[in-house]
Amino acid sequence: MRERKSVKFNLQKQEHQNGHLSPFKVAKLFDPDATWDKDQLGDVLHWIRQSLALVCGLLWGAIPLVGGIWFILFLLLSSGIIYAYYALVLKIDEEDFGGHGALLQEGLFASISLFLLTWILVYSLGHF
Amino acid sequence: MSSTLVSNMKYSDSLTVVGISICTAIVCEAISWLLIYRTSSYKSLKSTIDKASKKLETMKTTDPNTATTIKKSKTKKIDRVESSLKESSRDLSMFKFKSGGVVALVLFMVFGLLNSLFEGKAVAKIPFVPIKLVQKMSHRGLSGDDMTDCSMAFLYFLCSISIRTNLQKFLGFSPPRGAAGAGLFPMPDPKSN
Repeated sequence: MRERKSVKFNLQKQEHQNGHLSPFKVAKLFDPDATWDKDQLGDVLHWIRQSLALVCGLLWGAIPLVGGIWFILFLLLSSGIIYAYYALVLKIDEEDFGGHGALLQEGLFASISLFLLTWILVYSLGHF
Repeated sequence: MSSTLVSNMKYSDSLTVVGISICTAIVCEAISWLLIYRTSSYKSLKSTIDKASKKLETMKTTDPNTATTIKKSKTKKIDRVESSLKESSRDLSMFKFKSGGVVALVLFMVFGLLNSLFEGKAVAKIPFVPIKLVQKMSHRGLSGDDMTDCSMAFLYFLCSISIRTNLQKFLGFSPPRGAAGAGLFPMPDPKSN
């Protein structure tokens, strides 16, 4: 049975300053014992998605990988990595954050757009 | 040397589209900050929504030791906070909608400019054949049957979504998460009894 962690909701003064995470230690990103605020976790998942979109777009365009199947693969890969990160690395109890749907859809639309943009640009500029 | 390299690329116009999109995104966010984000009305609405969301999350946390009678009054409180949250979210949407007209005008003008520059010209190549619905935008104004030709409209759409969303997120101008489900046309909550 996977160990579940309850979340302590932080009702004190917001740590965010204009949406920036401060002060934020990199070690917290890999610490299964760290406590997460909903906004903080959402931001981290968003930026992980964008980074994956950028890397995959650059890679897919450079090789190049051609065909709609690679778009589906990106969706599965990025969602799989996000799920593995919050479920296995952070050991988050998703019920405290609105369920798997809420966590998996963080930054999804923007990442799809960014992935397509990068893939199309690198493919067009690098191979024609 | 780099300018020669860029001009030799068949689809170098895509870089122009991306460059203009980036500048447009920065200008739009600057206008939004001027008209919306720096106003006290917006700040107080956002603060209200954040507080209400946090309060709602705490109240919805289930406690197995809670008696049934206490749970009923808690449900009423939850409903009240939810209504207040939806009302504040609607007010926020209305406020942003009124001030967003200027941003919409800028976007419309930029799109018109790009259209005049690149109408009928494929600015990039799509590495797959898009579905029929997407082809209406991706092949807009282009001649021929090659559906992998990318029109300016589709590239501009992708730029707008990805660049503006991430810029807003980076600058902290994203809408509060508590307001995500509400808006001008709130949908019924599927979780309510």
